Amino acid sequence: METAAEQIPLESFLFVAAVIFSLGVYGVLSRRNAVQILMSVELMLNAVAVNFVAFATYTDPELFRGLVFAVFVIIVAAAEVGLALGIILRVFRNRATANVDEVSELKW
Amino acid sequence: MVDMEQAWLLPALPAAAFVILALFHQYLPRKGDLIAVGSTVLSFLLALFVAADLFGQLPAGPGELVGNTSGFDWVEIPDIDFVLRIGFRVDQVTMVMLAVVSFVGMLVHIYSLGYMKGEPRYGWYYAVLSLFVASMLTLVLADNFLLLYVTWEGVGICSYLLIGHYWERRTAAEAAKKAFITTRFGDVFLLIGIVMLWREAGTFDMSEIFEKAEAGEFGKTYLTAATLLLFGGAAGKSAQFPFHVWLPDAMEGPTPVSALIHAATMVVAGVYLVARVMPLFEASYDGALYFVVVVGLTTTFMAAFMGLVMTDIKRVVAYSTLNSLGLMMVSLGFGEAGVGPAMLYLFTHAFFKALLFLGCGSVIHATEKQETTDLGGLAAKMPITGRTFAVGALAMAGVVPLSGFFAKDEILVAAQDFSWAALLLILVSLPITAMYMLRLYLLTFTGEPRDRHAYEHAHESPPVMSWPLVALAVLAVVSGFVVFEPIGKAIGVHSGFLGAVENVLVEEVHGFSLDWAMAAVSTLLVVGGLYAGYYAWSGAALPAKAAGERFPFLYRLLRNKFYVDDFYQWVINYVVLGLAKVIAVFDRAVVNDTGVNGAGEVTNGAGFFLKFQQTGKLPNYALAMIVGVAVLAIVGFSVKG
Repeated sequence: METAAEQIPLESFLFVAAVIFSLGVYGVLSRRNAVQILMSVELMLNAVAVNFVAFATYTDPELFRGLVFAVFVIIVAAAEVGLALGIILRVFRNRATANVDEVSELKW
Repeated sequence: MVDMEQAWLLPALPAAAFVILALFHQYLPRKGDLIAVGSTVLSFLLALFVAADLFGQLPAGPGELVGNTSGFDWVEIPDIDFVLRIGFRVDQVTMVMLAVVSFVGMLVHIYSLGYMKGEPRYGWYYAVLSLFVASMLTLVLADNFLLLYVTWEGVGICSYLLIGHYWERRTAAEAAKKAFITTRFGDVFLLIGIVMLWREAGTFDMSEIFEKAEAGEFGKTYLTAATLLLFGGAAGKSAQFPFHVWLPDAMEGPTPVSALIHAATMVVAGVYLVARVMPLFEASYDGALYFVVVVGLTTTFMAAFMGLVMTDIKRVVAYSTLNSLGLMMVSLGFGEAGVGPAMLYLFTHAFFKALLFLGCGSVIHATEKQETTDLGGLAAKMPITGRTFAVGALAMAGVVPLSGFFAKDEILVAAQDFSWAALLLILVSLPITAMYMLRLYLLTFTGEPRDRHAYEHAHESPPVMSWPLVALAVLAVVSGFVVFEPIGKAIGVHSGFLGAVENVLVEEVHGFSLDWAMAAVSTLLVVGGLYAGYYAWSGAALPAKAAGERFPFLYRLLRNKFYVDDFYQWVINYVVLGLAKVIAVFDRAVVNDTGVNGAGEVTNGAGFFLKFQQTGKLPNYALAMIVGVAVLAIVGFSVKG
């Protein structure tokens, strides 16, 4: 009996991850709402996590170093969201907007 | 018991006293002066033991002494043959200097107890005085040129600090700077000379360098150049023409300092150095020694003439010191034969010149005046000072049988074998010396007091000051007798002074023989000089004044010190400062405006253009990041590719 890993080639996983990552990049560049940008960043992080898991399964099945990294990515993402949402909340409280174009004081 | 291997203790004791006093003199009883005095007394006693050990081994030819070296290599850089050795070496020439430095150093420390009482920075004065004695003793004991150079600068800085002891007085501060800068000129020559010798020989060790020089391992021209550079250093320290200008001004320092540093010890360091490196002179072209003779004679004559007209008593004694230093250099210029006489002169000179300076100090202490126009008639008020001063003056003049007579006569005998011209010139200088020494005594101690108030105020100095005078006066009388063989034997040497000293250099020694004809001629000249001096300056000094009015040009020339100081001032004003202006323009335009400010302006301008990158818009930053990462990835893959 073939395992799932043997039925689905590695490239499929990488393809999916690349698509998700590109969506994330597009989101970061095109959105103006800070919360949406944050969500796009989450997409990019998750794409990376998928890559980790895929490579771990295909190239290094005995150990699970890649899996550990994936867990780390999730933890870091959670922490980052907590911090970033806190900042966005403060900005929103101060100026009643979450539009990043309107928060541009730090320039020449 | 202390022998020659423990000679390092001699400088170590005053050095320790310096450290203690420099750090803690405020907290010590009497500002710690007794520690300094005690260290020098101990040093002197130890010097006696070292001398006994050395005398026991005589007669030993060059390099035959045993157990006379000690020390260790402090810093070593093997790749370039660099060894910084703290090494000490005792031989007869060293011993003469050790005796002089430790003895006069001790007396001056004691004398200062009285002279400096209640003066500002008393503790610091004693600290520096001890440092000076330590440096000077190390200088004479050093067995290599590098250590010698370090201590050479050490005595220089002590001289600077002590001349400028009363730095609130502008003239003192200026004199200190003048002394330091002038001797530095010589020191630079000395350093270049040492480096030249080291480059060729690969060592700083004196005896090794001498051996190599004698074996002809240096190019003769190269060696002559290096030796003359060493002589440049010696001329700076010993105030030879054209470096002589600093010594008279150095009289701004406290008088005991003048006695110790500017008469007995530091200024003869140059003489000592030339005597030490005599093998190098011998291996050089003859011109090197002729040069020494010419420089020495020039100094002698300029100083003797200037001594005739100066009115500051300390300055007159300073000019007599220049006169003596010139004579010593002349003697060294005679080569190996002149080393013994020069060292004998150095030995006796230390006593009678320190005596003269301390006598001046006693007068200044009592009257607070030092111009002869304010003095006169003091012999009645200050009998001890007056009599001892007379002894010193007569010894300096070279009257039989005082110490100066023997020293001077040995130089004349050596001159005889060298050249009749040099002999004649030295003979001519003798009566002039006698004249101004007598003049100084007459104007200070006899005649009518010219400042009544100062005269009434005058009193004999306290015993702590007068006893060193008496001790030095006794030595000024008897120290010349060391030339006689029985006296030498009585103090444990195999022969007289000259025989013992010459042993260092040559197997065959000239020894001492009194040349009766020479002695008669020189005595006649000295007596003639004394008579002329008495005629000119006794009583109201009318003949002297008449002579001054008769030859106003000559008088002005001498009073203005041959305009040498003015010439140097002119050079500084127009050449040095002119050059400085050019360099200042370079500094302003190139270094400051282009270099320093230029760097700032470039940074500033770059910042101005780059700041527009900071738009404050988040998507721009995000785009830049992503493009940046993409570029890095592409570059990374293609490089690895």
